[in-house]
Amino acid sequence: MESFCLKSARPQLELGTRPFYEIRMPEGDLWSQHFETESGYLVRYPHLADFEIASDGRSVTCLPVPGMTEESPNHIYLNQVLPLAQSVQGKLVLHASAVEIGDRAVAFAGWSGWGKSTLAADFSVNGFRFLTDDGLVLEPCAGRYRVLPSHPSIRLWKDSEEALVPAGAATALPLGEGSKVRFLAGNGIEFCDAPRELHRVYFLGDAIATGISIRRMGAAEALIACTMHSIVLNIEKKPLLASYFDEMARMADQPIFYHLDYPRRYESLASVRQAIVGHATEPDTAHELE
Amino acid sequence: MNWSDKISVPGEVMSRLVGEETVILDLVSGTYYGLDPVGARIWDLLVDGRTLGEVCACMLEEFEVSREEIERDVLALISNLREKKLIAVS
Repeated sequence: MESFCLKSARPQLELGTRPFYEIRMPEGDLWSQHFETESGYLVRYPHLADFEIASDGRSVTCLPVPGMTEESPNHIYLNQVLPLAQSVQGKLVLHASAVEIGDRAVAFAGWSGWGKSTLAADFSVNGFRFLTDDGLVLEPCAGRYRVLPSHPSIRLWKDSEEALVPAGAATALPLGEGSKVRFLAGNGIEFCDAPRELHRVYFLGDAIATGISIRRMGAAEALIACTMHSIVLNIEKKPLLASYFDEMARMADQPIFYHLDYPRRYESLASVRQAIVGHATEPDTAHELE
Repeated sequence: MNWSDKISVPGEVMSRLVGEETVILDLVSGTYYGLDPVGARIWDLLVDGRTLGEVCACMLEEFEVSREEIERDVLALISNLREKKLIAVS
């Protein structure tokens, strides 16, 4: 469990130290800075808020800048800061979206812009509820893993919005996360608010396939892919990283990892969705689709 | 390099066996390497503290290969790992 405390607004103070990590938007604007502090970590979202994360990751304090709406700190906390705090606790967190197929979770991992959110949105408006559009948090459970739901919203580029989002969908207030718009669940965008057992992870390819291609990944390939797509607050904490690597190696040994590639065309999304549903619901999915 | 040499793994390098393969993570460069089952077995013996000669002897017992082949494979792997700073030879 994590505790979250929202404090009174204050201007962002000069910290006097250099961040050990920075994240920039595709357009180049600074999105966040990660600092180490005496009590843990401070994650700064310039002109929005500072978040203090305890060294064990179990408590987070938000210090918003003056003028922030009440909704925004909570939104950044659930979507951005909580996955970081959970990584400090040793939970596995991946850059991946996830949807519910049957009563289990199917995840799509990949680099920014490779289609994670588009797939989550396409599934969610076609009867398959989404669990997260990024920052997939995994929890070990009876020898397997389960996906925890995150903030009930999906960030989409304009073209995906036009192709997928139902008329009347509600949007969240812009937070300076770049040109994407965040759509809230409801009005046809269906969200699953309960944990689901992880059944499949599809790592998205770079769209060189001319058709839909699904290939089973070996354990070593899966471990490398999981490591590359992990969200870890501080990779300099070696004991924590070693235990994280151990947990990922255990997970990578499970036969649930596939490489998925397909042409990125909105008119093909229905057939991609059908292929994934078919693949994920067959009793034996050791076969490959080409 | 001598057959009595052993290797050491820097503190910033971690490895894990998954299935029959080994994944090596280098925290300094942030890069990952995969070793196939044969490479994984050589790595396992090396990090267990065996000399290069002992590694070759073990591999000869476990795999149907000639001494010449296994010595060439072990030296090639060590040279590769050393070049990437994943091991030091002493």
